[in-house]
Amino acid sequence: MNNSNKTRLPLTQSQLSLWAGQRIYSEVPLHNVVYTFEIQGDIDVVIFKRSFEQLVEETDILRMTFSEIAGEPFQEINSTVPFQFECLDFTEKSQEEIDQWVRVNTRSPINLAEIVFDSRLLKCDESKFIWFLKIHHLVTDAVTYQLLFHRLSDIYQARLNNNDSKNVLYAYRSYLEYEREQVAEQELNSNREYWDKKTSEVNSRPALYGEKWSKNSTEAKRIEIALTPTQTEKLNNLCQKTAVRSWTKSATLYNLFVTVFATYLHRISGLSKFNIGSPAHNRSTLDFSKTAGLFIEVLPLTIEIDDDETFISLLDKIKLEGNSFLKNVHPSMVGCLNGEPPSNILNFINVEFKDFNGWPTQVRWVHNGHIDASHDIRCHVYDFKGESNYTVAFDINTSVCPQKDYDKVALHFNSILDSLLENLENAIDKKGLDPISQSTFLSGTHTPITDSFLKKFEEFAAKTPNKVAVQSSEQTLTYANLNKKANQLARYLAERGLENQSRVAVFLHRSPDYLISILAIMKLGGVFVPIASDQPVERVQYILRKADCSLIITEEKLSVGLDFEKENIVRTSHFSELENQNEFSSSGHEVENLCYIIFTSGSTGKPKGVGISNKSLNNYLNWARTAYSIDQNSVFPLFTSIGFDLTLTSVFLPLLCGGRIIVYQENPSGPDTSVLNVFSDNLVNKIKLTPSHLDLVKEHDFNPSILETMILGGEDLKTTSVSKIQSQFSEKIEIFNEYGPTEATVGCIVSKYDAKEHKGVSVPIGLPIDNTQLLLLDTHKNLVPQGVVGEIYLSGTCLANGYINDQELTNEKFLENPFSNQSKIYRTGDLGRLNSKGELEYHGRIDSQIKLRGYRIELNDIEANLSEFEGIDSCAVMLVDNKDQKTEEEVFNCTNCGLPSNYPSTDFDKNGVCHLCKAFENYEEKVHQYFKRDEELVRLLTSKRDINPNYDCISLLSGGKDSTYVLARLAGMGLRVLAFTMDNGYISEQAKENIDRIVKRLGVDHVYGKTPHMNAIFVDSLQRHHNVCNGCFKTIYTLSTKIAVEKQIPFIVTGLSRGQFFETRLTEELFWDQQLDSEKIDNTILEARKLYHQENDAVKELLDVSMFDSDEVFDQVQFVDFYRFSDVSLEEMLVYLKKHVGWKRPTDTGRSTNCLINQVGIYVHKKDLGYSNYSFPYSWDVRLGHKTRDESLEEINEVIDETEVKKIMNEIGYNPSAQQENDKKLVAYFTGAEGLSIEKLRKFMNQRVPSYMVPTLFHFVAEMPLTNNGKIDRAKLSENKIKPIPTDCPYVASSNEIEELVQKIWMDVLLLDRIGIKEDFISLGGHSLAAIRVTARINEEIETNFPLNKIFEYPTIESYSKYIEETLIELMNKN
Amino acid sequence: MKETITNYIIEHITKQKVSGISEDEDLLGSGLVDSLGMMKLIAFIEKEYNLSIPSKDMTVENFMTIEQILNYIESIK
Repeated sequence: MNNSNKTRLPLTQSQLSLWAGQRIYSEVPLHNVVYTFEIQGDIDVVIFKRSFEQLVEETDILRMTFSEIAGEPFQEINSTVPFQFECLDFTEKSQEEIDQWVRVNTRSPINLAEIVFDSRLLKCDESKFIWFLKIHHLVTDAVTYQLLFHRLSDIYQARLNNNDSKNVLYAYRSYLEYEREQVAEQELNSNREYWDKKTSEVNSRPALYGEKWSKNSTEAKRIEIALTPTQTEKLNNLCQKTAVRSWTKSATLYNLFVTVFATYLHRISGLSKFNIGSPAHNRSTLDFSKTAGLFIEVLPLTIEIDDDETFISLLDKIKLEGNSFLKNVHPSMVGCLNGEPPSNILNFINVEFKDFNGWPTQVRWVHNGHIDASHDIRCHVYDFKGESNYTVAFDINTSVCPQKDYDKVALHFNSILDSLLENLENAIDKKGLDPISQSTFLSGTHTPITDSFLKKFEEFAAKTPNKVAVQSSEQTLTYANLNKKANQLARYLAERGLENQSRVAVFLHRSPDYLISILAIMKLGGVFVPIASDQPVERVQYILRKADCSLIITEEKLSVGLDFEKENIVRTSHFSELENQNEFSSSGHEVENLCYIIFTSGSTGKPKGVGISNKSLNNYLNWARTAYSIDQNSVFPLFTSIGFDLTLTSVFLPLLCGGRIIVYQENPSGPDTSVLNVFSDNLVNKIKLTPSHLDLVKEHDFNPSILETMILGGEDLKTTSVSKIQSQFSEKIEIFNEYGPTEATVGCIVSKYDAKEHKGVSVPIGLPIDNTQLLLLDTHKNLVPQGVVGEIYLSGTCLANGYINDQELTNEKFLENPFSNQSKIYRTGDLGRLNSKGELEYHGRIDSQIKLRGYRIELNDIEANLSEFEGIDSCAVMLVDNKDQKTEEEVFNCTNCGLPSNYPSTDFDKNGVCHLCKAFENYEEKVHQYFKRDEELVRLLTSKRDINPNYDCISLLSGGKDSTYVLARLAGMGLRVLAFTMDNGYISEQAKENIDRIVKRLGVDHVYGKTPHMNAIFVDSLQRHHNVCNGCFKTIYTLSTKIAVEKQIPFIVTGLSRGQFFETRLTEELFWDQQLDSEKIDNTILEARKLYHQENDAVKELLDVSMFDSDEVFDQVQFVDFYRFSDVSLEEMLVYLKKHVGWKRPTDTGRSTNCLINQVGIYVHKKDLGYSNYSFPYSWDVRLGHKTRDESLEEINEVIDETEVKKIMNEIGYNPSAQQENDKKLVAYFTGAEGLSIEKLRKFMNQRVPSYMVPTLFHFVAEMPLTNNGKIDRAKLSENKIKPIPTDCPYVASSNEIEELVQKIWMDVLLLDRIGIKEDFISLGGHSLAAIRVTARINEEIETNFPLNKIFEYPTIESYSKYIEETLIELMNKN
Repeated sequence: MKETITNYIIEHITKQKVSGISEDEDLLGSGLVDSLGMMKLIAFIEKEYNLSIPSKDMTVENFMTIEQILNYIESIK
């Protein structure tokens, strides 16, 4: 071998990605690219061999080798290769043998260090040869094959005719060099950004037929379909249409196939935004188009599918996307994909193969049986003959798609293609994917309903009269007794005029009386309407009206306030007085007749009455009796709400079978905790409950327990909830998961939990019960293919008769069955999916499907994954819209001070007075003592006259009424004042005129302060404090202090209102001491100020704050609040200003303020927190008598000019869109183990779901709020009334008294329900004011005098407690 | 402008060896330029003449020949 002068060349970006894949799967022929050319001609084998050798000599890629040194791969171009071309004689071999040879040789490994190709000529007979050419993908692509084939044909022809063939292919080496240069090309930066965004922003993966496999295989299966002549003709016609046409025919075809493929992926995965990988050919120049080698790079094309998408609308989008794709493709771009690469490819192969030396040639691209592990499916479209006969081939990763589904892929693709070809205006999901004949309708067994409940119950009353039927804490009734009492009541009700099908409301606590009542009603052929005892009167009233109830059976207490004809109220207290008449013959039980009406909450807010017939109820009961093995020994607890149809199982099943009911009455006041009693009593062997109930008793010790059967219903059942319970029973318990809306009678789809089978997140809901059919339909009412999520529709005996007195809603939900005449289907609004084992999985409510940033998300899916995290017991994920805050109408204001009710942690008494006002009554006197008088101010400000010959003080002048009044009064007191105005860029013109006029009229010196960083400070303040004032104030303090230091002015006088003192300086705790100690308070305030200037914010970062480095400055320059000394009402102030100063209210701000940016702060504050930032200080102004409530509210409620606000936001560079993006966010609430790490939780979720499905916030809650029916109360969660507990730091409970005390104080001040002793004060939201409060309270409690800054020195409960302890010990030792 | 565009096509995107392109030559139909080439040409025109060509204008009608391209550029300038 003469391979001297070899140069090691680095790999291209595209080669590198192939190399990486090949390295991981080194044993797999992942990138063996094989074509066979079946040539119908009598090839001269010697010439062919020479020709091939020439081809190798003149084509550099065939002489390349690849190696690696220290992990760095490189390629070399050799002058020769160790290869002998052979012709194999296959004339005696069968076609199968030939195919087998091709198969084996396609998959045999390529040793890249030696040679990148393999080739043979197979002689099949004298005039039929197969040229086999295998090349590693590192140096080839489809165009390369086209080039090599035609080049070989040229050489062969030339050699045959003894000519020279000149059209040598160009060297790949030039491209390698070119690509290398491009990697660092500056001009391509924008293109790089484009590609980086593609994969970082879109990282969702369409799961084939909804199956989320944990795959790691490269095994693949190829399925090929040839388009029919009709399809081809229609396709070619379509390409001519102006609306369809793109730059070239192949571009047009490409767009059409992407449209079909994107639709396919969307419809079989449910995903509406994803990337499709698409090869860019990259042979953009004349030379490159004649170069063999790997040019293609697979880059992502983003597909976003909207609701009501049609083929043409999708095609239009794809056209645009395709154009941007082409605009940005460029060699080396594939190296910019930093996110997850697309999991699929649409490969439109635009190559044609002509004849070989005039002989007809059949080209076949042979599949190597593998696919990149990261690819789920590839779709290739090619027309090798160039005759518009398209072949569509699918490479399917066998680890993501079960074998039985392979043919479905082609079938479904074809059905979409046909729909597109039929009419581009068709909705992309108009037609079903499966032909109806092949669709699966899931049906329960067709079984006659043998027994009627009432008949069976009466039989037991006769057969086992002395057996206990029902027991409660108050009474025990045998079957005979129960039946007798029911008979007596029935007779009585009949006398009261109750007729067949009359409706009777039963508004009771759970009790034997409830059972007597419904039995009596049933005996009369009446319809019972159960209403749980906790229902508010209005709702009861609504139900009575809506259901046309002629009677109501209730209890004395519950009937209070009920507006119903007295004579139609039957009280249970009356039951005992009933005539002692034992017999009553039941009547009126036609199967279609209504048996009961249950009201469920409707989306409109009004409950809807579901009417269930005897037939439907008996169908369920007959089935359930067998399925749940119910017999005379069965004991059920009656402990769930009677208004919930789930409860009917516990009521009817035992009585149907001669079993027993144990009644657990609800707590008349407070939450219903019966479930806990049921488990601790251990008296029942059968139970019907919700998964949330189960979570409540997770920690319960079930040893011993007589429980045999658990039937769960009403909510999605998570595997984690049941597996633990079952393991406690060493699997000797049967657990059923029952699904069924009230409209389909208690339960109609059921599965038995199987710990070995059910390894998914949720337990499947299973299969339909007897006489029930299940259909999964898409929005166009097509049956969805197996594996795809669809809406659950139900049909059969289980269906309700409809909604009571609501024909419209009945028509809307109970539809004609499109697949079978004369039957109805009920639209559940639930989503389901038939998994690969043929069991139905529950996928949440259709309305819990949300759309966030273009992605359709099933909240259920996120919850399912979240609940897999170890330590989480229950969870709920919701899309929280920050804009959905309380509307202004819902907010009320304190009747005394005007504080709004949405101010955090506010309580109001009966008279609407807030807790701050109430508390203030106790220390008001001391507050007034804290304030001083004018004379004291003059004395103070003149006390250091010797320091500065020119000025006594700086007066901060904003130009507003308060600060102007300050300046005027100071001047009036004969003080030498330097006025300082902060020009923040937003002082109104009129305000500036005011300022200039006033300082002139008052004859005081005046300076403006300014900083180029003002806007950055505003933005920081808006982000940090939701207002602009905090940032502005701090800037003013900083700049004015600087001037004071420079000019040696000893005092700075502020115009802060007394209300603002309480916003920024004073807290209630400071006034707790028995005797007011003003000096102590002032020292505390000063300490707080020192901390204030240490806080890291934009002011500290951007302004010169070096003077605060030492505490000296706080002695040098003292801040004095004017209004501490001056008690003036708003009215007095305005009069004074008018008379003495000539101050005019600026009209150019449109508001009472003089600062234009002020309203931006108010706007943002209101938007972010729901109330104005002035609400709190103004409430104090009112409390302290400086404003009236009306004046305060008037100012707070001033109208804000949104256009102006947006303009200013834009000017200062505050980007509310970043905030608004946060307006809608996913919030996860969960209960579980203490001290869960949110960081780990987030990481866990990131590994399991695409990033757009990872909740923004994770809130740990101590307890999940439940509705009366025992389901998670989402409304309550979304109202944000449940306060999350921070868990960033593992929770560690307090371990001694001191820690307990400090912990309690922290929790009170920081308004948190739980704080671990290792959590950091600052990260919990603690700031200087909170520090004052915490310190003051600690000092109060243990009668010490800890300095304020200790809390920053010892920022955890643990360390602070230790400090306290040590200090106390020291003190004791001293004494 | 005509020369710049013609040269760009010849030097950077044609798939065939040509010495010149006539003004009314069908660039796409003749196979001189494919869809990738056309988008490169559009990107070039946008950059060269500081234009932003809206997606809806990216049609065969506007870009079929050099003449049409010149007319189109004129119309949006």
